[in-house]
Parts: sequence; structure tokens; C-alpha cells
Amino acid sequence: MLPVKNVVILGDGAAGTIMANKLRMLTDVKETRISVVGNSTKHYFKPDGVHIPFKLKRYQNSVKPTRFLFNYGVEYIHDEVILIDVPHRTVQLKSGKGLSYDYLIIATGDRFDYNEIPGYIGEAKHFYDLPHTLELGNSLDSFKGGKIVIGPSSIPYQCPPAPYEFTFLLDQYLRGRGIRDKTEIHYIFPLNRVFTMQNVSDFIEKLFEERDIITHTLFNVESVNGLNKNVTSIEGESVSYDLLILVPPHKGQTVITKSELAGPGGYIDVDRHKLNYKDYDDVFAIGDATNLPISKAGATAHFESEYLANRLAHELSGNVYDEDYNGEIACTTITGAGRAMTLYFSYERPPRAIFQSKMDYLLKWTSADTYFSAMLRGIM
Amino acid sequence: MTMSEEIKATKVIDARGSFCPGPLMELIRAYKEAKTGDVISVYSTDNGTKKDAPVWIKKSGNELVGIFDREGYIEIVMKKTR
Repeated sequence: MLPVKNVVILGDGAAGTIMANKLRMLTDVKETRISVVGNSTKHYFKPDGVHIPFKLKRYQNSVKPTRFLFNYGVEYIHDEVILIDVPHRTVQLKSGKGLSYDYLIIATGDRFDYNEIPGYIGEAKHFYDLPHTLELGNSLDSFKGGKIVIGPSSIPYQCPPAPYEFTFLLDQYLRGRGIRDKTEIHYIFPLNRVFTMQNVSDFIEKLFEERDIITHTLFNVESVNGLNKNVTSIEGESVSYDLLILVPPHKGQTVITKSELAGPGGYIDVDRHKLNYKDYDDVFAIGDATNLPISKAGATAHFESEYLANRLAHELSGNVYDEDYNGEIACTTITGAGRAMTLYFSYERPPRAIFQSKMDYLLKWTSADTYFSAMLRGIM
Repeated sequence: MTMSEEIKATKVIDARGSFCPGPLMELIRAYKEAKTGDVISVYSTDNGTKKDAPVWIKKSGNELVGIFDREGYIEIVMKKTR
């Protein structure tokens, strides 16, 4: 009988959970031990952050207890990793415990670095975690009209379509309240377009024009001045606001930097086709923790996990897996009242068919249920 | 001799293999950390950078030193002037 192999997964977000559950379904519990290290108590379905501030969804339906989300045979260790020692194949946990591994999967996600933008804290709002999403909902409740500035402060950030999705729903919300004609919506974006991919950007820009949404491109936020109520870019442009909704700057987790695994921005440099870290064939990274040139999103984590679980299942059973991950992703995004579109793309192929449909909106609307019942469980 | 060697780039960013907007964001990251007068050079294999980077350099009020076709990649050199 072969010795039991230890697979350690760091992170209990979308990437870590899907990866653990998918791999568990493909491997024998007697031959492979799968352990997940994470310190959350609740798992929040972040894409609902574009609905919750408008009372389109109740936040209670977007949150589940983390420990209940793992399939039978996955060991969940509620702890925090403080150091990853790749040469010695061990990780150290905050509790003082150490773990050794045969395979390590880093799915630690990323973090918000508010301090990168002077004036951000206490002034700008966002919808990228639940507390701030609820706070933003309160700000919108008391909003009576004026100028709203919205957009990402810099690139990269999680779920690239989310800022434009929120903007379309904001427009709809303000029209519903009868204050759209008293409100200017200004959309800022770091590149010389309104989205990372040119053809999607062209499509979104037309929809913005139809809805009288004003755009400011090449706008990388440098600072926020809460007294004068204006936001300034490093390109030298300044825009005033009454309500500022700003995606915070993102960075890799500090444990990645501390463990000397970080490249620029604190992200892990992984092989884009094999997902392994540098020359190591036993260390992988997936999800928002990587420096891969694709979206930092649950959809990415889902597709990466599908690939990596298959690869590891083959290797754990002594077989060779010679397929590559090609950056393939499918992502459904809202484009207005009752409309959405699904984008299919990969490293080499931008989205081709770009059209809105009510069916896609239904898909998006029910995505939290699909996520918790099937996607996280590794059965789709 | 490359142009960046002639001018002596303060910082060279090798973003070859990274897709748009990666090279531009690397350039912006380096710009934030640079001092006025520093020369930054970025290598890119993504053709989009050839269009995006000069537009950003102009909009941000800095100086585009040059765009150079190298073997299998392009080199864009800028000077931080503000």
C-alpha cells in the first residue's frame, strides 16, 4: 500500500473551497489526505455586493458558515498561515502548529491596501466586502441627488466587470427613486477605455452613453480629499463628488511577501499553463493570489480548480497529466435592468459573442444558489 | 547599444510575456515609486502596450523618450517629469 499523500490547501475562499471539494471527489480518502487552512467563519458570495446596496437581495442569503461548505473527507483547520517554507515543504500556523505537505496549493486571495490612497479611509465607499456593502446601502438610502463618482482606483482588482455592473444598477436605482435627473454619474477607469478588454469596453461605452453616464479614462487614483470632496488621479485630473464609490487598491497577502514568494504587487508568479510556482512541481497557486493575466474572480478560481484537481488526481494516482490550462473563463455580467451577458474568453482569445439577454440575467440572479449548492461543492 | 542604455534607465521593467494591461500597470507602478527625473524602460511582447503606454505617458504629463522595436519585443522609455 502506498503511503498517504498530504495535500495542503491554504485559503478557505472560493478557490480553496472549490479546489478541496473537487479534488476530494477525484481521490481516495485512504490514499490522499486533504487539509484546508483558513480563518474565516462565514463565506460571503461577493458578486451579490452589486445587488445588496439597492435592496435587490438580502445579504443573509449570500452568506453561509464556512465550516459547513467542505465535502466529507476534507479536513478543515481553522487557523491562519503565517509562513510558507517551500524548500522544506512545511507551513507554519498562528496557533504554533506546523504542517508538512506533498502538494501545496496556495489560495490565499488578495487584500485591500487602503493606505495606498491618502484620504480613502472614512470617505470613499465600496461594495467589495459585506460590511462596506451594507454601509454603502445606507449612504444610498440617504442620497438625495448630486454627483456620484464610481470606479476602480487601480488595476488589478477583483471581478473586473463589477464596477460597471454596479453602475448600471445604480442608474436603474436612481431612476426608480425619481432622482436620476438630479444626479450625475461619473465613471472613472485606469486605462484609456472603460474596461480591460477593448471589444467589451466598446460595448459598455455605448450603454454608458445611452444612460448619460460620464466617463473619465486614464484615471489612476492618487488621493481623496474629503474636505473639498474631490478625487485626484496620478495623471493630474481632479473630479468633485458628493458620493464616492471607489474600488480599493488590491495587493497580495502579506504572508506571501513574508515567505518570499511574492512578485510585483505581492502576487505569486505561477506558470500560466501549469499553475505551479516557479520550478516547483509540488507548489501551486490559484485564484486571486496569482499574477496571472486574467480576471481575479470566482469564475477564474472555478476554472483553475477544475484543471488543477484533474491534474493532481492524475499525479496522485501515478499517472501523467499533460494537458494545459489555457486561461479559459466564463463570466456572466449585468448590463442593466433585467439584462446581462456571458463572456467566454481565455488567455489568447478575447470574448467574441457580446450580447445581452434576459436568460443571462436569470443565470446571474440565481448564481448565489448555484454557487453554494453546486460550484463550491465541486459538482459543476 | 539600446536607447535605454544610452540614456541610462533608472529602472527597467521586463514585462515580456505579460498581456495587456499588465505592462502598462507595471509601468504605472514603477512611476509611482520613481523620483522626478528618473528614466523608466519597459519591455513588452504585447502589441497593445505600444498604443496604451504612450497615451498614458502623454496624459500623465511625462516625457516619452522613445518606442523601440527589439528582437521579439518592444521597448518603451519614459522620463518622469512631474
